[in-house]
Amino acid sequence: MKKLLIKEFRLAASPLSFVFIAAALMTMLPGYPILMSAFFICLGLFYSFLNAREMNDVLYTVMLPVGKHDFVRAKYMFAVLIQTAGFLICAALTAIRMTILAGSSPYVNNSLMNATPVYLAFVLLVFASFNVIFIGGFFRTAYKIGMPFILFGIVSLILISVAESLPHFPGLEFLKNPAGERPEIQFAILACSVAAYCAATAMSLKKSEERFEKIDL
Amino acid sequence: MKKMMTDTILEINGLCKKYPGFLLDNVSFSLRRGRIMGLIGRNGAGKTTTLKSIFNLVHPDRGEIRIFGLTMPENEREIKSRIGYAAGSADCYKRKKIRDIVSVTKSFYESWDDDAYRKYLRAFDIDEGKTPVQLSQGMQVKLSLTVAMSHHAELLILDEPTSGLDPVSRAELLDALLFLKDKGVSILYSTHITSDLEKCADEITYIVRGKLVASDSIGNFVSHNNMAGRGNTIEDIMISFEKESLYEKIAD
Repeated sequence: MKKLLIKEFRLAASPLSFVFIAAALMTMLPGYPILMSAFFICLGLFYSFLNAREMNDVLYTVMLPVGKHDFVRAKYMFAVLIQTAGFLICAALTAIRMTILAGSSPYVNNSLMNATPVYLAFVLLVFASFNVIFIGGFFRTAYKIGMPFILFGIVSLILISVAESLPHFPGLEFLKNPAGERPEIQFAILACSVAAYCAATAMSLKKSEERFEKIDL
Repeated sequence: MKKMMTDTILEINGLCKKYPGFLLDNVSFSLRRGRIMGLIGRNGAGKTTTLKSIFNLVHPDRGEIRIFGLTMPENEREIKSRIGYAAGSADCYKRKKIRDIVSVTKSFYESWDDDAYRKYLRAFDIDEGKTPVQLSQGMQVKLSLTVAMSHHAELLILDEPTSGLDPVSRAELLDALLFLKDKGVSILYSTHITSDLEKCADEITYIVRGKLVASDSIGNFVSHNNMAGRGNTIEDIMISFEKESLYEKIAD
């Protein structure tokens, strides 16, 4: 698996996948739908799948002495590593915004979502939807990537809209507090989303392994 | 990893695969160690489906494929570590430097031999600093052969490797195949350039519209068909078979 992962980084990956990790810096932007950072990180991953398809990565890899399921696992592992890097940056910047910059006026007067544990929870949900809808969809055929990405785009925009709307519902105003009001609820939501991300990714991986094994390449 | 040694390197029995408008029907043949077999047939006859089935890239509806006495997918890693593949051109990572592709590729093969790799690079005059797209088609095939030989593949599967090559490049490639045969490598070689087979193949397997017509030594194949009045070269025999098919179609 380590060798396949090295192959992903050295041959299959598009440089844009690494560049777009920097979209996590959007976490610092006031007056901007900061959840778009998660979407852009996934867009960077999409370019690696596109690059791999254009380079005939599937054929190259299945000719190597590896199992077909190893190929699927390496693709998921690559995506999870990129997402983890993006998430860690988002988490570090969220911590800065919730502590040192909590009283800063652009964040206090921010009309859009502030960086809080609930924001991080939604980042993970966007990542989970990418793993299920896009990567899972890709492994239906091992070459079609357009429709899975459109579907992921629609679902991620719905998730972003929901996240931006929540603080405007009665009783949920605390979600907007830049210092992370009611942290016990916020961290519980984050913990649930971590579990949801892990479960969704694992289930998608299993389904993709089954699908890829059955595909005629 | 303990290798299973067997004289029959590849054994295909009753291979069937149905696609809309095409049926690969009950194809059976075998290939022994140190032999070159030509797999011939018109475009769309079922050659590539047969080769893909060997690599577990398509899933046959029926039939059994044994490679080194082993079956896929249970022994996929071992089988693939002992097989080399080359197509008419190197289609993968065409814009990456050969050096980078090979440095990743070799990590997957326990039997990779760097000295052999350097030797073949020099023999074929391949510059590692180039990308596959900068190589001519003949050089791309030689690159695939170099990689296959550097991990000491025991079975080479070549999908129309001489298509589009000039006569000199074809002759060089055929020399390389004969050299490998002498080293005990078995080669299954799909082509429709029948004159190449007359120069290097020991056996021939002929598929017409998904059906196996013959799998025999070149000598037997030519003499049997010559006696049946189909000509005395592989090309004449092939034309004779395909023409019959066309006449049947028109008559229907």
